[in-house]
Amino acid sequence: MVMKMFDQSDLVTSNLDEKQKKQSLIATVSVIVLFILSAFTFMNFLYCLSDCIGSIVCASADVALRDAIRSVPLILSFFMTLAGLMVAHTFYRNESESKLRVRAKKHARIGIVIGAIIIAYVIIMRFAGTYLSLLEGSPSPLYPLDAVIYAAIFIVLGVIILIYLKKGSYAGASRPSIQTGGKFVRSFFRAIWLMIGLYGFCGFFYSIFIVDFRNGYVPYSLAMMLVSLVAFLTVAVWELFYNAFTAEKRRNITLPLAIVSLAVSVGSAFLYFLALKANLDGPANVGFGILPIAFSASVNFATLLVVATPLIVSVVALVKGIIRLIKK
Amino acid sequence: MKKNLFCIVLAAVMLLSCAGCAGGQSSAEHLEDYVFTVQYHDNFNILQLTDIHWNVNTSTKASMNYLDKLLKEVDGHIKKTQGEGAKIDLVELTGDMFMLANSYHLSTFIDYFETKAEEYGFLYAPVWGNHDRHSLYNPNELANRFKKAAHCVYYEPTDDLYGRSNYIINLTEDGTKNTSVAWMIAHLDSGASFSETELSVFRDYDYIRPEQTDWFIAEHALAGENVPAIAYYHIPQDENEKAWVAVTEQNADMKNKFFKLEGFADNGNEKYASDFIDRAKDHNLKAAFMGHAHNVDWTVEYEGVVIGLGVKTGTELYYAHINVNSDDKAMQDGLRSVGITENFDLIGASLVTLTGKDGSFDLEHLYYNERENGDFSAWVKW
Repeated sequence: MVMKMFDQSDLVTSNLDEKQKKQSLIATVSVIVLFILSAFTFMNFLYCLSDCIGSIVCASADVALRDAIRSVPLILSFFMTLAGLMVAHTFYRNESESKLRVRAKKHARIGIVIGAIIIAYVIIMRFAGTYLSLLEGSPSPLYPLDAVIYAAIFIVLGVIILIYLKKGSYAGASRPSIQTGGKFVRSFFRAIWLMIGLYGFCGFFYSIFIVDFRNGYVPYSLAMMLVSLVAFLTVAVWELFYNAFTAEKRRNITLPLAIVSLAVSVGSAFLYFLALKANLDGPANVGFGILPIAFSASVNFATLLVVATPLIVSVVALVKGIIRLIKK
Repeated sequence: MKKNLFCIVLAAVMLLSCAGCAGGQSSAEHLEDYVFTVQYHDNFNILQLTDIHWNVNTSTKASMNYLDKLLKEVDGHIKKTQGEGAKIDLVELTGDMFMLANSYHLSTFIDYFETKAEEYGFLYAPVWGNHDRHSLYNPNELANRFKKAAHCVYYEPTDDLYGRSNYIINLTEDGTKNTSVAWMIAHLDSGASFSETELSVFRDYDYIRPEQTDWFIAEHALAGENVPAIAYYHIPQDENEKAWVAVTEQNADMKNKFFKLEGFADNGNEKYASDFIDRAKDHNLKAAFMGHAHNVDWTVEYEGVVIGLGVKTGTELYYAHINVNSDDKAMQDGLRSVGITENFDLIGASLVTLTGKDGSFDLEHLYYNERENGDFSAWVKW
């Protein structure tokens, strides 16, 4: 059934043979799985970072350092998973055979190195007494052993990718190349966009479990979940849905998609502020756990970021769509 | 199909709307429901642990090792000063037990306190801090675990009171509601923070709301107008700052002691000042203890009420290093008040001993530091 979806006209996969479709499917699924893993490890990373920043802000840099040393495997796990996501994304975009090999190899090697560092670090720190046991606990019952196992799995996957790149050939769907103009600025904003997407996804996922639909907080709870979901969808729609179309189709749908995206972003932002007006203590009482950046409990920064980013992305897409329309 | 989908969405919206409309019980009509009773005896010991702050970076094993030693020290001190039969009767956990934590921390924490409660024979009573809502667990999960824990005293109905942990422990002659109340121990949720408007970039720290004060006064009337009361909550209210200003800027003659090395981290906004102490003091409130600002354990007798922050427990997030050679005036003032002549960290616990039904009590601060060459321990009387 999934393969049939690939046959639809206007999709970059529509004229591929069975093997190519299978490869495209594996690449797409890998991107999705690694995005989800990245989102969870990103939340762990944000939690570690928020606590350390809190200690520094409160003039306890020694506590921040102690905590950071203990949580190095958690922090590195995020970057290792991100390297995995980059590998999968390189296959997914498949701009050209040469770019694919160079970039995928680079990211796979980065992932393997980070994984090796995690394993070595845990072993050294166990002997040094920083970890009282390999099953010391916190943030999970198996920590830091679970970080070692996770790293070992990524090392194995990284080695498999390197072997595949040496022997196999990938011929999955080609997608538009990432424009090179203003490379630094573009890379910076793409990274920020990705982080917000990860944050939005994880925020939405966790909110299902941790948002407390207590008396009086229902509108704010729903609005909180909505803005998180929209932040994630901004990434998912443009990266997975939009890029799945052929170049011509993309040109045609840029403007309508941007208008829909902007309408949804504006609508969700409006609903959020409306709900906030009704629950001015909402951010501190509902789903506060998904706002680790707002550590100090005194800044609405995280929510504003999640609300603002989809708006910015939609406006940029709208401008792009209008320019394309004029050029046409 | 579309019709079915519409019905499902409509039903979901109605269900959620109903959840939002459920007002819960009226606190004024259910005053008895908020009250637990525990048997009173002279020298009733209340240990305050505050701002333990278990988080994603915490080594819970190391933290539990510290708490093991701390509890042993307190138990030993009580037995030494009050006799072998004396013990910790009640542990007050005054908020920020967690921050950036998850269900694992929550389970481990409650399991730990259950084990220790069994070992030392105490009950423990938690109040919420601002960061206890700042974790990857559902706050209801924490509330339900507290409710179910065998040695935990906790009540949280769906009601018209602001916050979660608003409840009373009455110390009575025989531990039941049938005999007179000797002391009333009130627990209030001082909230977390709030935005002044929906477009505010910053949030203010929360405060004890007027309806909570009304509830306290009603509960006190139920216990008996002459019953002495103590309140435990997390965020300092405006009286702490008022007392500090009176002592430091107006040279007011108020008994005060211990350290104040940072602000009280209250909202500092007159518009949102709490009326709690101001009104509760006319209802036999003898003392109010809180946490929140880790570098402060400053205590003052203000308009007849002893108001003080507990000593921060453990080394999570931040704490002050007390240096006897420091040029900092606040640190030197604190050192002079406690009479300690060596460097130490401002972590430990606070002990209140109810010495009589007349409202008399003793207060001691314990500074307890783990050290490789033998732990540091200093008890300082109020």
